[in-house]
Order: sequence, then C-alpha cells, then structure tokens
Amino acid sequence: MSTEESSAVDDVSIAAGVSVERPWALLVLAGFWGWLGSRWINDFLLPDSIAVSSERSFVPVDPVAAAAETLGSVAAALGPVGAPVDVVASLVGFVAGSLPHLPALARGAWLTLLLTVAGIGFGFVLAVPLSVGRVYGGRWLRWLSLSYTELIRGTPLLAQLFVLYFGLPLTQVIRELPGVGAGPLPAQAFWVAVVGFTLNSAAYQAEYIRSALESVDAGQLTAARAVGLSRLEGIRYVVLPQGLRYAIPGWSNELIYLIKYSSLAAFITVRELFFRAEAIANDTFRYTELFLLAALFYLALVLSASVVMGWVEERSSVPGVGGRR
Amino acid sequence: MVQTGDWVFVLSNADTLLFGLVVTVMLTLTSLSVGFLLGFPAGAVEVYGDGVLRRVVTVAGGLLRGTPIVVILLVLFFVVSISESAFITATVGLGLRSAAYQAQLFRGALQSVDDGQLEAARATGMGKLQAIRHVVVPQALRRSMPGFQNEFTIVLKDTSIAFAIGLAELLTQGYNLFTQSGRSTAVLEVFLVISAVYFVLTFLTNRGLDRVSDYYAIPAGENR
Amino acid sequence: MTLLRIDDVYQSYEAEQVLQGVSFDMQQGDVDVLMGPSGSGKSTMLRCINRLTEVDSGDIWLGDTHVTAPETDVNELRQDVGMVFQDFNLFAHLTALENITLGLKRVKGIHAEQARERARDHLDQVGLGDQTDAYPAELSGGQKQRVGIARALAMEPKLMLFDEPTSALDPELVGDVVAVMQDLAAGGMTMLVVSHEMGFARSAADDIHFLDNGQIVESGPPEQLFEQPEQDRTAGFLSGLQADGPQ
Repeated sequence: MSTEESSAVDDVSIAAGVSVERPWALLVLAGFWGWLGSRWINDFLLPDSIAVSSERSFVPVDPVAAAAETLGSVAAALGPVGAPVDVVASLVGFVAGSLPHLPALARGAWLTLLLTVAGIGFGFVLAVPLSVGRVYGGRWLRWLSLSYTELIRGTPLLAQLFVLYFGLPLTQVIRELPGVGAGPLPAQAFWVAVVGFTLNSAAYQAEYIRSALESVDAGQLTAARAVGLSRLEGIRYVVLPQGLRYAIPGWSNELIYLIKYSSLAAFITVRELFFRAEAIANDTFRYTELFLLAALFYLALVLSASVVMGWVEERSSVPGVGGRR
Repeated sequence: MVQTGDWVFVLSNADTLLFGLVVTVMLTLTSLSVGFLLGFPAGAVEVYGDGVLRRVVTVAGGLLRGTPIVVILLVLFFVVSISESAFITATVGLGLRSAAYQAQLFRGALQSVDDGQLEAARATGMGKLQAIRHVVVPQALRRSMPGFQNEFTIVLKDTSIAFAIGLAELLTQGYNLFTQSGRSTAVLEVFLVISAVYFVLTFLTNRGLDRVSDYYAIPAGENR
Repeated sequence: MTLLRIDDVYQSYEAEQVLQGVSFDMQQGDVDVLMGPSGSGKSTMLRCINRLTEVDSGDIWLGDTHVTAPETDVNELRQDVGMVFQDFNLFAHLTALENITLGLKRVKGIHAEQARERARDHLDQVGLGDQTDAYPAELSGGQKQRVGIARALAMEPKLMLFDEPTSALDPELVGDVVAVMQDLAAGGMTMLVVSHEMGFARSAADDIHFLDNGQIVESGPPEQLFEQPEQDRTAGFLSGLQADGPQ
C-alpha cells in the first residue's frame, strides 16, 4: 500500500484565522475553555451546596429569552428598517435557545476530551514500538507491524468499533472490572471506545512516526554506532529524538482527526458530545440549534488543538530539526 | 462463539451485503467527484486568488475540515434538508468534506511546482492563465497522486458514516442484518466479513491508483 | 608496537569484490594515508576496522583485540576506534557539547558534570571552545567536522579513522580541519586517513598506501610515492591528483 503522506499540516487554525497574530481569536478560545472548565468543576467537583445545579446554565435563560422577544418586536415595529435588529434578535434568540442545553453538552464534551486524550496517548505508546519494529526489525517483526497497520488503516473506524462492541464479548469483560460505571469512572461502552480508538490511532501514528524515522539521515545512526552506542541506544538517543520532531505535523493531524471522529463513539452508546446533541435534538426538535452548537464545540476543540500543536512544534524545535520553515 | 451456522447466515444474505457494497462504491465515486470539482478550483483560488473570494474559500475549507463528518451529514439532512434522499445528502456531505481536503492537497501540489516553471512559461510570452494551465497544472496533478490515493481511501471508509442517516450502504446493511433478523450470534461474522470487504476495496484501489500514477509519472531520469 | 594489523582481508558487496586481499600493518603513533580512485575500497577498508562493515575473510587485529572474531564485542571495540565521516554526521538535535557528552555519558558511563568538562576540553582542543551551545545547523562545514573530530577523540580511542574528512568542505574551510589533523598527528595519535589532501599526506604521513580495485598496488613513504613511484598506476593516479591544483 502506498504511504499516506501527511507532509501538509492540516492547518485548520490558519484557515480560521486563529493564530498568535490574532489575539482576539485566541481570547474567544480562552473564553470557551474558561466556561467549559468552570462547568466541569461545577458539575463534577463542587459539592451540591455551592454548585449551580447541573441541569441549569450559569446564565439564567428567562432574561435572555425576554430580551430576544423584545428585540424581535422592536424589529417588527421598525418595519424593513429593522432588518439588522432582527438579525440581532435571532442571535439572541439562538443564545436563549441554546442556554438550557449547554450543561449537558459540556458533560458530553468531557467524554469527548477523555476519549481523544486516551486514544492518542495509549495509541502513541503502542505506535512507537510498532514503527521502530517496522523500520529496524527483522523480517517477522516488520511483517507483523505492517499487517497490523494495513489492516486497521484499510477498514473504517466505525466498523472496528462495531466489531469491538457488538461482535466481541468485550463489554461483558469490562463490566466485571472493579470500579467501572461507579463514580467518576465511565461505564463499559466508554472503555470499549477507548480500546477502539487506541488500536486505530496506533496504526495511523505508526505510519507518521515510521515515515519520520525514515527521513532521519542514515548517517546519524552510523555515527552513533561508531561512537560505541548499541543499535537500540542509537535509535533511542539519536534517531527517535529527531524522528519524533519530524512526526509532529502528522501528530497534529491525528489529534484533529481523533477529536472529530470521537463522535462515532455515539454509535456504541457513549454519551459524548455528539450523542448528547443528537439526543437533545430528537427530544426538542431543535435540530438547527443543537447541531450548530455541536459544530461550534467541535470547531473550538479543533482550533485549540491546532494552536497547542503549533506551540508544541515551536517549543520542541531545535535549529535544523523541526519547527515551521 | 464462532459457529458454522453464523457463516452460512452471512452467505445466504450475501445479496443484501452486495447491494450495500454497490451503494458504498457509488457513494465513494460520486463524493470524490464532487470533491474534485469543488476542491481543485478551491485549491487554485487559495494559491492564485486574492480578496474576498480567497477569504471565503479559506474559511469555508477550515470550517468543513474542523467539523466531524457525522455533524455535517446530520446538518445537511435535518437542518438544511438538502434532499429526502439519503444518498444525495451523503454525496453532498462527503463531497464538501472531500472538497475541503482536496483543496489543501492541490494547494500544496500547486505550490510545490517551482516558481521558475511559471517564469519560464511567461518568458515565452504565455499569459498567466495559460501558463498555469499548460505548465503548472499538469505537474501539480501528478504530484498530487499520493495525496489523492490517500483521500480516496478516506472517503471510501467515511461512507460507513452514512449509517447515521440510514443510507443502505455496506455497514448499515450489516448492522440491519443482525439487528432485524434477530440472529445476534452472527454479529462477529457479519462485521468481520464487512471489514474484509472494505480491506479488499482499499487494497485494490491503492494498487489501481498506483498503476495510474506510474502510467502518468514523469520519468525521473538517470542523470543525477 | 604493532597497533593495527590487516591480514589478507576480502570483502564483497552484492556481486562486486570490493577488497581483494588487503594486508598492511600500522605501528603505534603511525599516520598512514589511503589513496586511490573512487570505488577502490578505501572507505570500506576503514569501515571493516570498526566493523560497520563485515569482512568476508581475513583478519584484523587492533592491539590484542581480534577485531574480526565474531565473539568480539562490537560496541566495546568502537570505543577504541574513533571515526570521522565525510558527511560529518553530527547528531542534529544536540548542541556541539552534547554531541560529545552523549558517548561519554551513555557508553562510558561518565557523570554529567565530568562529561561536560571533558567535552569542553576537547572542543577547546579543536578551536571551538566558544561554540559549545551551537547546534550543527548553525555551524559551518569546517566547524562541523572539527566537532566530529572532537567527538571521536573524546572517547579516547587507540586509533582514529578519517573517511575523506575534507571532501565535503569548501576550499577555504579545509585548512582549519587539516591543521587539527596535523596537530593530532604531531601529538602521537595513530591515524588512518582516506583523503585526497596531498598537503597533509606529504607533511604528516609515515606511509601512503595506494589502493586500486580492492588491492594495495604500492605502499611507501610520501617521498617514494610522490617522487619515485615504483608502479605506473601509482604515478598515473598521483599525477592526475596533482594536476587538479593545490589542495
């Protein structure tokens, strides 16, 4: 199979105009995380006596709804001149309509975050040996690594999740584990999703890391060996530090991919962001609000990831290795 | 857990799965085409355009790339209500997403063609558009082959997400098979077979596109 | 004392015979130069000595160590043999200082502070004491090669191998590197150098071996090879070198 070249960084953030040069955009993101963070602290950590009820938004709905109505009637009274006021009225109305659902969506976003972080983290732990085995291993190791990555990358993530959730008795096994579903630990479907995302992400990350390792000049390992380092030491201290830096753009792509595709966990009953949005939409028939909200949430997450990965790339780069050209 | 009866069940429903397979392939082809028809001009605009048009294309692309495909599909189906047909909705949704990614692909490929090529073309008296069309684009298209292969398999796998709007593609057919027929023991076999079909599809596609790529490749030359 | 003994070494790559029965000795403190047309096997000979390449047959002895014996620990051997590469091969992600301390810390197990001391001394020795924190990408070719030499020296090898150390350098940078090599030679280091640098060969070499097609055609001190070569092939090659102008 041909390599999935990912030399082009998926610069969603540049597209959306978010960068260090546009501080107001960064401020919006900061505001988003500020609100999200306080929502989580409120719902999960604060004792009931101080906390705002986890069913109610921070900002009371009624005043906002009333404002929307007032603006609406003003716009109507002004006739055709009132068009801009009407736009503002719809926006305020949108906010009023969204407010009651924000807490639930925030709880969903928490699971989305967990899924993404777990998927990419555990996936990385699995991907490094996979790619090292593929580049430096003997015939069997190379074949094993290649088969794994090709199989996973050649089948849809949703099908993999279905196999794990419906096809294997994983749910039964996980349910028996201590602590699952109790207190802060999510229920078994979540863990099945984590397994699925880990296995999937490992295959894609292995490809990025592999091509990055291969782009490290062969002379680097030769020099390391000539100094007396063993093969493993040479790989660990000389090739990997460079290879991992080259892999950062691919890694950013993978992070953004996981944020978006974590939505598929909804189909195996994980109550993450998309699941919540769809559930509320089906209940209230307010499809527009809910899906627009969902889209905004995901965009905020993706943009934040882009910004963070850009920062990581800058910080880890060394003159001559990594960093934006 | 794995019983022969279940495999027989899968075999006897091969026609349903086959129907799903056809839908999957059709959807892939239509979405990719939409993606190309919108994506290539978009990429060109990002490289050569300016002003409002460029800004619009850039932002739209960013939005489409930052939103999960499942959300795009549901918005198109329930909010914008493009069509009652799940197939058309899915084509538009997957097509738009693909267009956004193909725009990036072609942008990169167009930019990677050395500026000197364009200069040389203009030096012979060609107009800018002409030069781009006859000198830059052919080279850029060849350079985008690996990325395009990548995009092909991505769209192919993403067709499975049309599950969300009930389109009768391959994965949905499999899901319906085991839920509706009550034959829940056959779950593993059904999904394994479906996964195998996807795998074969992606494998064949990559091989096929490798051939196409080789056929059109510019010879690298011996003089290094 | 005989430090290096090469005994009838054969080496082939795919279908091609690269080394065809090469034999020569080096005494401790000797500075020998390997010369010859490209493809004659000079680099391969060097790489056989630190087993970056394996010989097909023949023996190599470094002091008491039987280099080519399978049971010999390759990593330990390489601590005794320093290598300087044509393409420098500096560790791109480490500073000049760290390039040197890596081997000291990981291979020799020296503590960080002591390793840094030693590394600084070696960088001073090659004239780069002020570049300890520079990354390879920030250094000129000549500076990179000198760091490469310092890196090899820091391991305190018995023998230093130089594989065309100046071939990748712009002419004006060559002088600095050659000066370092001459200092080393004067200081008594045993050096085996593959190079076209005739100036160095003339002034510092004890013996020059002319290699062609995997065999030593002629060996002898510089005066002999340059003034009165015994073989026609030697004369032909060397006059071609000299015709390229001062190097």
